[in-house]
Amino acid sequence: MGIFIRSYIKELKLISHDIGIILFLAFLPIAYPIIYSLIYNPEQVRDVRMVVVDHDRSSLSRELVRNLDATQEIRIIGYAADLGEGKRAMNSHECYGILEIPEGFAKKVGRGESSPAVLYSEMSLLLRYRGFLVATTNVAQAMGSEILTEKISETVPMAETLISGDPLGVQNVAMGNLESGFDSFIMPGVLVLILQQCLILAIGMTGGAKREKPWLYADIDKATAGGTFKSMAGGALAYLTVIIVPCIYMLHYVPLMFRFPQAGNPWEIQVFILPMVIGSIALGMIFQAACRERESVFVLWVVTSVAFLFLSGLTWPRYAMAPVWKCLSDLVPATFGVEGFIRMNTNGATLAQVSGDYIALWIQAGAYTLIAFLVQRFYVMPTRIRALKEPGRVAIP
Amino acid sequence: MSGFKQIFMRSVRQLTGRPIYWVAMFALPLFLMLMLTNMMEDGLPDKVPAAIVDKDGTSLSREISQNLGSLQMVDLVDQSNSFTEARHKMQEGKIFGFFMIPENFEQDLLSGKGPTITFYTNMTYFVPASLLFKSFKTTALMSKAGIMLNVAETAGISAETVVPMMQPINITSRGLGNPGLNYAIYLCNSFVPCMFQLMIMLMVCFSLGEEIKYGTSPKLMRMAHGNILEAIVGKILPQTIGWWVMIMFMMSWLYCWQGYPMKGSWWWMTVSELMFVVASQCFALFVFGVLPNLRFSLSVCSLLGILSFSLAAFSFPVESMYGAISIFSWIMPIRYNFLIYIDQALNGIDIWYSRWWYVAYIAFFLLPFTIMWKIRKNFERPVYIP
Repeated sequence: MGIFIRSYIKELKLISHDIGIILFLAFLPIAYPIIYSLIYNPEQVRDVRMVVVDHDRSSLSRELVRNLDATQEIRIIGYAADLGEGKRAMNSHECYGILEIPEGFAKKVGRGESSPAVLYSEMSLLLRYRGFLVATTNVAQAMGSEILTEKISETVPMAETLISGDPLGVQNVAMGNLESGFDSFIMPGVLVLILQQCLILAIGMTGGAKREKPWLYADIDKATAGGTFKSMAGGALAYLTVIIVPCIYMLHYVPLMFRFPQAGNPWEIQVFILPMVIGSIALGMIFQAACRERESVFVLWVVTSVAFLFLSGLTWPRYAMAPVWKCLSDLVPATFGVEGFIRMNTNGATLAQVSGDYIALWIQAGAYTLIAFLVQRFYVMPTRIRALKEPGRVAIP
Repeated sequence: MSGFKQIFMRSVRQLTGRPIYWVAMFALPLFLMLMLTNMMEDGLPDKVPAAIVDKDGTSLSREISQNLGSLQMVDLVDQSNSFTEARHKMQEGKIFGFFMIPENFEQDLLSGKGPTITFYTNMTYFVPASLLFKSFKTTALMSKAGIMLNVAETAGISAETVVPMMQPINITSRGLGNPGLNYAIYLCNSFVPCMFQLMIMLMVCFSLGEEIKYGTSPKLMRMAHGNILEAIVGKILPQTIGWWVMIMFMMSWLYCWQGYPMKGSWWWMTVSELMFVVASQCFALFVFGVLPNLRFSLSVCSLLGILSFSLAAFSFPVESMYGAISIFSWIMPIRYNFLIYIDQALNGIDIWYSRWWYVAYIAFFLLPFTIMWKIRKNFERPVYIP
């Protein structure tokens, strides 16, 4: 039996007998996306609480408040006597916004002037502010154009026919994420990131296991260049085999379950993600150099997910990054994986349209495989063999 | 040397002697903090790449394009000829949205047919798309106002009468504490402490679990003369001090150097951060007591630590989550750290309003005492499960 096949079988055995690695390759990709999606699954921020300070007390100001309350975004929880009382309600975390309508609000409108009102918004969460902004703009627009038409026909009776209805319609269409939901925005990217991370964590942990108990796993005959490469390839194929089902599950079934946008071709998406999986496996093999123990992976790698999430440009777009962060993000497989997956899955791009990301992923896969080979050949394998010869060196509390 | 001092010094030697502790306690947190604050230093990602589809090609439509191009937030990278072409560019990621002026726009407008301007934003990317939305909407409404002015003037109404009428109801929004919608202020103040929480918890489980893994915990217990509290405090205190230094550095980094809002009292914020470190450690101790297995407790702390970024509701509000899930928002120390930050640093309100959050920290302090007997049992008879 060749080293390649032997390593493949051996790695599969190691994976299937180690509960820690099973957790990374099965529980993590299967349960975690569900928990994560459930947190954001309500998608929209509705009925954010607001207090009104109405100094005008006119039918127009009441109409404004009624209209705001009727929007999806805002819920008016009551009136406050003055701004101070409103502030107290906000400080006590009862509401997140205060609308102040000044005295003479309706009169000004009646005189044909522009009548101001002020919305004070608490700024801890931008989604709440966004809801306030959208709702108040829409309500002010709708009420405004009604009043305007009335006014103009009052001023010049015939003008009404000239400006009948809306002279110019303005319409916004949200693309990709049609409902502008938060879950549909963040989760597709996070899924790809989870895929990368669970591979690297699992491979890092096997590295630690092999280093701790080399007599169980290490073969000295693999310590030649050819042997190292073949055993690496065999191991990589084992991870590729194991990850197929979780990969299909995460990139196809999770979006299906949670009704995320799915505009792409599912087969093309799997073809697209292949180089990212290879790149992640190679990165995991490089990471093995830092794993002296099985448990090191938690301490050294888990927190990188936060860094990778931001480097992927999901929240802060890549075009606005400083060169240093952009370069760093170019090194992460998940960056292009997230970018391409979102475009295909959410925006319905074809594989050809994300060719830039696809090529970048293959270049990464190639480069990381080469680096992984060098790391395995000149660092990981020799340390394992050393540990095999001197078992005393292994214990490092 | 007393037992406590011995344990303390032994723990200091372990922390300083192994590279993994340096990486986890200094290198990674510092790097992440620097990365997040520096990446978003501009506050908002302006100059969002966008396109205009001008199917009209008249002087009026060109004027609208020019107005759009002059906006700070938009970078018109492209002139597309059709909707399909622009949509393809969006799919390829070259633009985040486009503005469409329909055919015969000017003609329809003058003949009163009421044409429609449509703008498309790629909501797959929330932040740039929201910024584009705002700029597109402003441009569209300004164009509309200009056109209505023209029409009114042809109808014989003077501009002075019409202009104030354009916007009868004008609601100004004032964002308290962060008027410029600075994204770094919004994000770093919650994400950086949450990253600390994750690392603090992992360090507790890792350092204690290693004692069990390598069978050194009985020795630790002997040094403490069988007193589990002495053993644990002596072991963890050096980390606490290390994290206190780090978190004080974080505060000065965020509120002094970066100049993020600090409207309330430094004193109460400092108290909160110091208590937060201990609360996170106590939470991890509790997890470790329930699951004395090194890998298992690290897994649980990793899971909760990463989920905290979402569960603690930094971006999606608790009241919008499902009830059964929103409960979990309150079990992590970072939630209280975030609430105190909002009250004390961002809004600078009276400490009275935050009193309950500090009490929550104290509840975390008491948590490990419920499980101390079990940690003791496991320390005396260590069993390592890989």
